[in-house]
Amino acid sequence: MGRRKLNFWATAALIFVSLIFIFPILSMLVAPLREPGLPPPRGLDIIPTNPSFQSFRDAFSMVPLGRSLLNSLLVTGIAVPITILTASWAGLALTLIRGRTRVLIIGSLILLATVPVTAIWIPRFVLFDKLGLVGTYVPLIAPALMGGSPLFVLFYAVAFNRIPREVFEAAIMEGCGTVRLWWRVGLPLVKPTTAAIALLSAVAFWGNFIDPLLYLKNEEDITAPLMIHSLDQLVLGPTHFPVFLAASVVITLPIIILFFATQRLFQGRERGGSWLGR
Amino acid sequence: MFRREHRTGLMLAMPLLVSTTILVLIPTLVTFIFAFTNFDGLSQIKWVGFSNFSKIWGDTLFWTSLKNSFYIAAVGVPLRITIALFLALLLTPERTGVGAARSSAFLPTVIPDISYALLWLWMLNPIYGPVAYLISALGLPGDQLLLTPFGARFSIVFMSLFQIGEIYIVLLAARRELPHELYELCTIEGTSAFWTFKRLTLPLLMPTIVFLTARDVAWSLQSTFVPSLVITKGGPNFATLFLPLYIYQNGFEYMRLGLASAMTTVMFLLTGLMIFVQVRVLRFRKGLFDL
Repeated sequence: MGRRKLNFWATAALIFVSLIFIFPILSMLVAPLREPGLPPPRGLDIIPTNPSFQSFRDAFSMVPLGRSLLNSLLVTGIAVPITILTASWAGLALTLIRGRTRVLIIGSLILLATVPVTAIWIPRFVLFDKLGLVGTYVPLIAPALMGGSPLFVLFYAVAFNRIPREVFEAAIMEGCGTVRLWWRVGLPLVKPTTAAIALLSAVAFWGNFIDPLLYLKNEEDITAPLMIHSLDQLVLGPTHFPVFLAASVVITLPIIILFFATQRLFQGRERGGSWLGR
Repeated sequence: MFRREHRTGLMLAMPLLVSTTILVLIPTLVTFIFAFTNFDGLSQIKWVGFSNFSKIWGDTLFWTSLKNSFYIAAVGVPLRITIALFLALLLTPERTGVGAARSSAFLPTVIPDISYALLWLWMLNPIYGPVAYLISALGLPGDQLLLTPFGARFSIVFMSLFQIGEIYIVLLAARRELPHELYELCTIEGTSAFWTFKRLTLPLLMPTIVFLTARDVAWSLQSTFVPSLVITKGGPNFATLFLPLYIYQNGFEYMRLGLASAMTTVMFLLTGLMIFVQVRVLRFRKGLFDL
């Protein structure tokens, strides 16, 4: 096979794969444009013939969606910086610590990554209940103290590990304190990783469904994903599906915009960058 | 000198270590203790020995949910890992348009769980769901997708195949870490693409694949929760009643916290077993700690 022919097939494969993965998002974006309550169409009617924004108006008038969006924004806004803080600290720690302690911590992180969240629902709930924190946002934000997810800590560890050790050794020898070492030396060298973790943790906290379901009771406190769940329980039947799909688009769009906004930061090829901030 | 770095490191690791102990380690141990009590959040906690476990043993719904969870892990995880590996290798070489393709492959992963579940509820709905329609157009019973046990389970596996962003990103990064020299050598020797994959890429990526597989087994135990709650509500005929949903119903809807803890304990042991078996199957050797 000639080189040009191979290139052709590679490009075709890239386009094909991209289309497959864009398909769910695209169909989500057009689905709410159908007017709610219309009789179901005959045949495949993906793009509605008379597009309308009625479903968006319905979504906002049936439930206090706006309020819940602000709540989600608050939770995400607090949780993401904390995640970056603890994950980058722990990641930097793993390059400074050597020997058996390091193997022990990395081993536990890998083990932790395989503990299903489901498994600790009950005792964690009891813990927050005893502390009187059920109904507040503390249980929703608490995972940020662990760096969001063991995977995020490992991402940072990989990124810091790529920096020559001498950089940190020299800084410490010069009398650089712990906080300065992290803020002035370490963090500026792993900016693409920080962008990636900011995005991934924003995705996790913004879309979190299970914790609000367990911990939040009052309607004025609940976050957007849970509000959409109460909306989909209100919706009367398949002809009203566009209403909750409209609400779904409303919470998905900010994340997608953030996704494309952070792209450049962690895919910038000019610095030999890659997804994990190589 | 060395000591000072070590001390700085330990200080930086402290928030992680403390919060993990409080939020994961202790709760895990407490689950095992609750499993032996009649804890319901109201009355005095009483030690009941193994009676929760014998209740579970006789509970057909528990066995159903266990079987369903196993099914999802056994079918879904290998498919997800294989597709992610294929994606990672396809998107490794720098070509025109590869950046856009890398982004789009990650896109479904950022959709919030609830939106993603509702999207598929619409796409698969028997009345005018586009995917259900397309499957019907092929002469298959597309309108039955969510109404038959097999169809409902299949749908939940199928929709999870798009959300593989994290797996593929880690594999892509791991692949890019592999030494260029080895691949240059392969080009000089003129080895076939298949040989290079089987003898070079796959063995070198194996530690990463093992880790991701173990993680995905655990992930499948929580990722099925939202779709089974929202799309299929555990049905039809309990075909999509998965362990997390059943534990949620028992623990948080009926407040049988002791019983739910016992179920969690069983789930824990089985996850451990499944991961152990998979690690064995994938011939786990070394390198898991060589970050």
